[in-house]
Amino acid sequence: MNQTLTIGLPRIHAEAGEKRDFLPEFVAGLEKNGAQVILEYGYGSGMGFSESDYLSLAPSVVFAPCPETFRQDYVLVTRCPRDEDLCIMRPNACLISMLHFPTRPQRVNLLRSLEIEAISLDSIKDDNGRRLVENLQAVAWNGIEAAFETLRSVFPSPGFESPDRRPIRITLLGAGAVGIHVLRAAICYGNYALWHELASRGVPGALVTALEYDTTRIKWIMMSILSETDVLVDATQRLDPGLPVIPNEWIAVMPQHAVLLDLSVDPYACDGDPVYVKGIEGIPQGNLDQYMFAPDDPAYEAVPSCVPTTHRRYAVSCYSWPGVHPKECMEIYGSQIRPIMRNIIERGGIQNIKPNGRYFERAIGRAMLSRWNADV
Amino acid sequence: MTTTIGFPRLMKEAGERRVFLPDFIQFLTQEGAEVYLEEGYGSRSGFTFDEYRRANPAIHMCSRDEAFQKDIVIVLRSPRFEEFETLKRSCCLISMLHYPTRPRRIQRLKELGINAISLDSIIDDKNMRLVENMKAVAWNGIEVAFSLLEKRWPNLSKPDGSPIQVLILGTGMVGKHAVDAATKLGNIERNNDHIKAGGPGSFSVVLGRNMTSSKMAMEKFLRQADILVDATQRRDSSKPVIPNDWIALLPEHAIITDLSVDPYTLETTPPVVRGIEGIPQGNLSQYFFEPEDPAWNATVPASIPSENRRTTVTCYSWPGIHPEASMLHYAQQLEPLMSTLLKNGYTGLARDGDYFERALYRATLQAWC
Repeated sequence: MNQTLTIGLPRIHAEAGEKRDFLPEFVAGLEKNGAQVILEYGYGSGMGFSESDYLSLAPSVVFAPCPETFRQDYVLVTRCPRDEDLCIMRPNACLISMLHFPTRPQRVNLLRSLEIEAISLDSIKDDNGRRLVENLQAVAWNGIEAAFETLRSVFPSPGFESPDRRPIRITLLGAGAVGIHVLRAAICYGNYALWHELASRGVPGALVTALEYDTTRIKWIMMSILSETDVLVDATQRLDPGLPVIPNEWIAVMPQHAVLLDLSVDPYACDGDPVYVKGIEGIPQGNLDQYMFAPDDPAYEAVPSCVPTTHRRYAVSCYSWPGVHPKECMEIYGSQIRPIMRNIIERGGIQNIKPNGRYFERAIGRAMLSRWNADV
Repeated sequence: MTTTIGFPRLMKEAGERRVFLPDFIQFLTQEGAEVYLEEGYGSRSGFTFDEYRRANPAIHMCSRDEAFQKDIVIVLRSPRFEEFETLKRSCCLISMLHYPTRPRRIQRLKELGINAISLDSIIDDKNMRLVENMKAVAWNGIEVAFSLLEKRWPNLSKPDGSPIQVLILGTGMVGKHAVDAATKLGNIERNNDHIKAGGPGSFSVVLGRNMTSSKMAMEKFLRQADILVDATQRRDSSKPVIPNDWIALLPEHAIITDLSVDPYTLETTPPVVRGIEGIPQGNLSQYFFEPEDPAWNATVPASIPSENRRTTVTCYSWPGIHPEASMLHYAQQLEPLMSTLLKNGYTGLARDGDYFERALYRATLQAWC
């Protein structure tokens, strides 16, 4: 007889603005597939859902304190839990989360030392290397939307919404997976309704200049481009995260109203090995509680002292851009994770997933900690 | 009962060398199918029947007519109209059938009682195509454009030392990949060599339709463009995005890159014209045209203005430039879909089935009609 798998869904204990939890329909799907689901008290409340919203669709769901959710066979949560929560998990249990194995060696070591299996959602990929669980579109659109919100409020005369203004110039650093979504978002100001409205009134649109690192390293070219840039977007994936793409001194040539948008969300770590700096040097690190920063915002003072912040503009930065619109984000993650969870449940657990098996099994196999090798 | 699958050859231009690869054929037999390859299948790409068969008794060689008589017929580009009659009634034709723009094709398939799955209509719950190679459309087209430019400017070094400027029209899926390709000079290896040599690289300027409608706004960008890329999806395909007289604004050395590959279809109402007015239509046998190329007059209808010309790269099937890579890509996308189809059968596909079943259902002729 197959044993029922238990799945704990803890809430994300991060900044107050982090409201994302899986939606009732997704939880009901887990139950329908045959799992016993344990939700942390208050699950979904950040998005306005009550216990009865979950129970009406998934009657066998149990609500429990946070630690109890971590003691199940599987723990599913989009952002990686705190270390102290991981220590509650049982050996051989499985954590399913955005774990970012390649850039979090300490986390990998901790999980291995606790004998926890893990599936990193950001490593679930198809045979072509395409991520099956991602919301890069929301990273781009939510970030661009926030950047244009800022730009509209500070754009000089004749004003952002004037038919007499020149086209808005966006400079995009990095044309990779996030960057390609930025193109469409930027052309539409991150807001279709606003775009259509301004277009109907004859307001000139936006143009995007996309650059890769072969061009961004040449100062004279960059000075010319930056001096005309209204919105500078960092969507780079740098080979050396210790070197900025835009040194702080280059920001000096940008218009005073310019907005610096950080979509790469690389951290600052001056004392780390290796050292990390942001792609646009000197801008603050935002989160879901605050992601817009005026040049005189106190957050600039919190930037590590090893990082120059002399030249400042309006900065827009958030560690979790998809979380800006939590419900939409969780609808997308839910639809992407549903077949993954169904495969695990229907096969009786992760130990029965064949890395050379069918489509979703192969994708899951690529994301398992027990099969992950940092050197490959 | 065992399902039979026929693979007729693609009878298109000589440059069309795409065939499903031996691994995919073997995969289908592992899923329980008997496979029949038209004699000569894959020979243009250097594959022999023995390389397909690998002593597998479920793989057979047959005539073209016999390949068309199987339960399922797979051919990447649609067979010719008259070949539909060769298909067995109630069989399942799997091909790029382009339902939205081919009403006569749909009508004929229905009249003949043929089931069909259009590869370009297999979409997931978010309307994303599951069988597509838009990345190859963009990268292959941009690669050819940069290669031509490199012949003019060795190492892609412009006389004034500035970066190559690429002007991209359209921000849809192809446009997005075009930006990725253009910022890497259309080829990663070339880009790496260029960086090592200290070259200034390239940058792309991307414009949406709010900007492209005004000649005054476009003039500056056209005058500076070394490569102009059409990756638009026009709402009104009877009007060009770049009228022929605007082409005169481009530098003489500029390369026009056509990734949209809309045809000239003047006999329909409304007519369909190309996004960049007056450029020829290429295929896998010829995909670049110098201004004095006689093919210009042969492929552009006389009523379309084409006085202003620049070197143009255009191809109806850009992924076919690298046929083996293209077919490997399609096979990877098709494998889980074929598993589902062979398990459920065409008539067993349900609108509310599992992920791949739903996607397949949406591409069936019955769901479309």
